Amino acid sequence: MNLNMNSVETLVAQIHGLSGSISDINQLHSLLKQSEDLFQSESTRLAPLLTELDPFMHSLGYLYILDASTSAPISKEQASELVLSIARFINLCAAEQIRLAPDKFTSVCKRFKDQVMLLEDPMRGVAPMLTAIRKLQLSSEHLTTLHPDFLLLCLLAKCYKTGLSILEDDIFDVDQPRDFFLYCYYGAMICIGQKKFSKALELLHNVVTAPMSILNAIVVEAYKKYILVSLIHVGQFSISFPKYTSSVAQRNLKNFSQPYLELANSYGAGKISELELCVQAHNEKFEFDRNLGLVKQVVLCMYKRNIQRLTQTYLTLSLQDIANTVQLNSAKEAEMHVLQMIQDGEIYATINQKDGMVRFLEDPEQYWEKRIFCVDSTDVALEFCFRIMMLSRKLTDMDEQLSCDPLYLAKAGKERQRFDFDDFDSVPSSKFTI
Amino acid sequence: MEKKMLKPFPSIFRQITEAAKGLGLEENMASSSSSGLTFKLHPLFIVNISDHYTRIKSQSLPPPSTPHAASASNGATSDSSSPPQQPPPRVFGCVIGVQRGRTVEIFNSFELLYDPCTHSLDRAFLEKKQELYKKVFPNFYILGWYSTGSDAQESDMQIHRDLMDINESPLYVLLNPSINPAQKDLPVTIYESELHVIDGIPQLIFVQSSYTIETVEAERISIDHVAHLKPSDGGSAATQLAAHLTGIHSAIKMLNSRIRVLHHYLLAMQKGDIPCENSLLREVSSLLRRLPAIESEKFQDDFLMEYNDTLLISYLAMFTNCSSTMNELVDKFNTAYDRHSRRGGRSAFI
Repeated sequence: MNLNMNSVETLVAQIHGLSGSISDINQLHSLLKQSEDLFQSESTRLAPLLTELDPFMHSLGYLYILDASTSAPISKEQASELVLSIARFINLCAAEQIRLAPDKFTSVCKRFKDQVMLLEDPMRGVAPMLTAIRKLQLSSEHLTTLHPDFLLLCLLAKCYKTGLSILEDDIFDVDQPRDFFLYCYYGAMICIGQKKFSKALELLHNVVTAPMSILNAIVVEAYKKYILVSLIHVGQFSISFPKYTSSVAQRNLKNFSQPYLELANSYGAGKISELELCVQAHNEKFEFDRNLGLVKQVVLCMYKRNIQRLTQTYLTLSLQDIANTVQLNSAKEAEMHVLQMIQDGEIYATINQKDGMVRFLEDPEQYWEKRIFCVDSTDVALEFCFRIMMLSRKLTDMDEQLSCDPLYLAKAGKERQRFDFDDFDSVPSSKFTI
Repeated sequence: MEKKMLKPFPSIFRQITEAAKGLGLEENMASSSSSGLTFKLHPLFIVNISDHYTRIKSQSLPPPSTPHAASASNGATSDSSSPPQQPPPRVFGCVIGVQRGRTVEIFNSFELLYDPCTHSLDRAFLEKKQELYKKVFPNFYILGWYSTGSDAQESDMQIHRDLMDINESPLYVLLNPSINPAQKDLPVTIYESELHVIDGIPQLIFVQSSYTIETVEAERISIDHVAHLKPSDGGSAATQLAAHLTGIHSAIKMLNSRIRVLHHYLLAMQKGDIPCENSLLREVSSLLRRLPAIESEKFQDDFLMEYNDTLLISYLAMFTNCSSTMNELVDKFNTAYDRHSRRGGRSAFI
C-alpha cells in the first residue's frame, strides 16, 4: 500500500509539472486516465493531497483526485465540509482543463448536489451549480447534464429568478435525452412559479412533442401540466397533436391523463358549476399529482375569461349583472375580481362605485406594446433579422444532414416500391425531394 | 436579334455612364501629343459610333439557318452557326463640335459612307450633311472623323489628309469595338496628326492625345436611361427586381471603391508617405461637406419607415423560409426515425 501511495505522490508531482501548456495537459490527461484504478484503490487517503494542488492551475489533476476521494460514501458531518470544498473548486477551476474530462466533472457536481440535498440546504448549491454549468458548456446553446440538477436546486430553494436566467438561452445541442426532458419539465415548473405561462407552455410543449421511442414518466407528468397550463394561458386545449409528435406519445399519453382531459372538456363547455363538479370529482387524483394549485388557478381563469368575454359585448355593465352572468355569488365578489384584473392589466375598465357600474375601455397601448419594428428601433429589427438568418442557416444544414442520413434514404427508397404502376414517373430522382 | 444588338451596348454604356457619373477623374492616356490642346468628349457621340458599328455588324451577318432558329435567341449559338467569321466591318463618320481656344469639345457625330475602291469618304454626302447640321447647330464645326478598329492604319492617313481641307488639323477618333471585360477605360483613342521629320522626310503621323469626358446633366440622364434598357423578355417581376438591385449593388460597389481610394490616399498623406497637397485636401473636404444631402425630420421619418418596411419584409420572408425548411425536416425525421407510423405501404402524409 505504501508503494501505491508513493506512486500517487509521483503522480501529484507530475500534475504539478505538467500543468503548463496545452500539450502538457493532454499528456497529463492520458496519464491520469491510466491511473484511474490507482486512484480508486487509494480513495480514502487522497483527501490530504488536495491541499498541495491549486484548483486553478492544476484543475485537471485536482478533478481526478477529487472525484476519486468523493466516491466513497460520506457521512453527514463530512458533508458540509465536502460541500464547501467542492464549491470552492467549482468557483476556482479553469474551464479549458475540466472540459477535457466532462464526465468526471459531471459526477463531482452530481455528488455535490446530493450532499447539498442531504444537508437540506439547496440554497448553498445554486450559485456553484450555475458557475459549473457555465464552465462546462461548450456554448450557450449546449445543454449539459448539470442543467436539470441546477433547475431542481432552484426549485427546491425557491430562487426562481436564477433559474429563469438559464432558461432564456436557446438550446441546440443536447447531451442526453433525459437531460432535455428533465430540463424542460423543471423549467416549466419554475416558469409557472413565476407566472410566466407562455414560456411554461412552450417548455411543456417541447417535452410532449420530443422524439421518443417509449413513453416515460416525465412526459406523462408534463402532459398533465401541459393541459392545465394551456387552459390557464390560452383558454382552450386541443387534443390533436402536431405532426412532429412521436407516435408513441400520440397513442399513449391520453390514457394516463383522463381526469385532466375531462377537466378540459368541462372548461370548454363554459359553465362554472360543471367545472367545479369536475374538480370535486377528481380531487384526489389532482392532489396526488400535486397539481391542485394549478387546478385552482384554472377555475379562477374561468371567471376571468368570462369577464373578458363580456368586454367584447358590452360597453358598460353593472356589477350585479357581471356577477349574474359569470355566476359569481355577489356583486362584491365581482368587484373584487374586476379590480384584480384591472390591476394585473388583463382588462381596461373603470369602476364607478357610486352606482356600481363598470365601463370597459379600449386598451390605449394596444399596438404600442406589440411593436418591434417601429421608427425608432431599427437596431432591434436588424437584430431580429440576423437571428432569424442564423436560424435559417442552421435549419438548412440540419435538413441537408438528414437528407444524407442512410436510415432516411433507406426508408424513403423503400416507400417507392409500394406505389402502383401509375404512380411511377420516369424521373426517379424527383422522389427524393419531398 | 435584339439581344445580339445590345451585346456591345452594355459594356460601352456602362463605361460611359460610370465615367460620366464619376468624380471626373482624368482618363490618363499615354499622352504624346504636343499640340497642347485639351479634348473633351461628350458621351452622345461615343454612343453614336457604337450604335453605328453595332448596326452595321448585325446587318452584315447572314441570318441564322432554320435548324438553329430555335436557339436564335442565344446569340452565341447562332454566331457559331454562321459562315466563317469575317473581320468586323469598319464604320466611318464625321465628328463635329466646338473649338474654343485650346479646348476642343466634341459634341456629336454623323455617319459617312466609305468607298473601299478609292479609299475615301463620300464627299458630296459629307457636304450635304454638314449643311444640314449647320442649320440646326450653327456653332458646330467639323472637327475630324471617326472609325472603328483596334489600331490606326495606313489607309487612314489618306482619309485624314482629305479632310485637311475642311479642318486644317482634324482629329481621328478610334473606337475599339472588341469587348474586353478586363479593360476599365473607354476603348476610345484620339489621334492628332503631326508633322515629324523621320529619316529626313517630313511625314504626317498619328499621335495619341488625352481626353476627358464631359457631360451636361441632360446627357447624363438620357445616357443613363438608355444604358438600362432591358431585353424585352426579362419581364417577370423577379428578374426586374434582381436587375434593379444588381444595378444598385454595382453602383454602391463603385462608390465604395472610389471612397476607398481617397481614404487610402488621405491615410498615406497623414503618415507622411506622400507630400501634403493642400488643394486636394480642400477638394476632399468640400466633397465631404456636401453630405448629408438632406437633413430634415420628415426625411428621417420617411427613410426610417421605408427601412423598417424592407426589414420587416425580409424578416417575413426568412420566417416563411424557416417554416418550410422546418416542415421538410420534420417530414424527413418522421420517415427516418419514427418506427411505428409505418404499417407497411402508404402512410397518411405522403
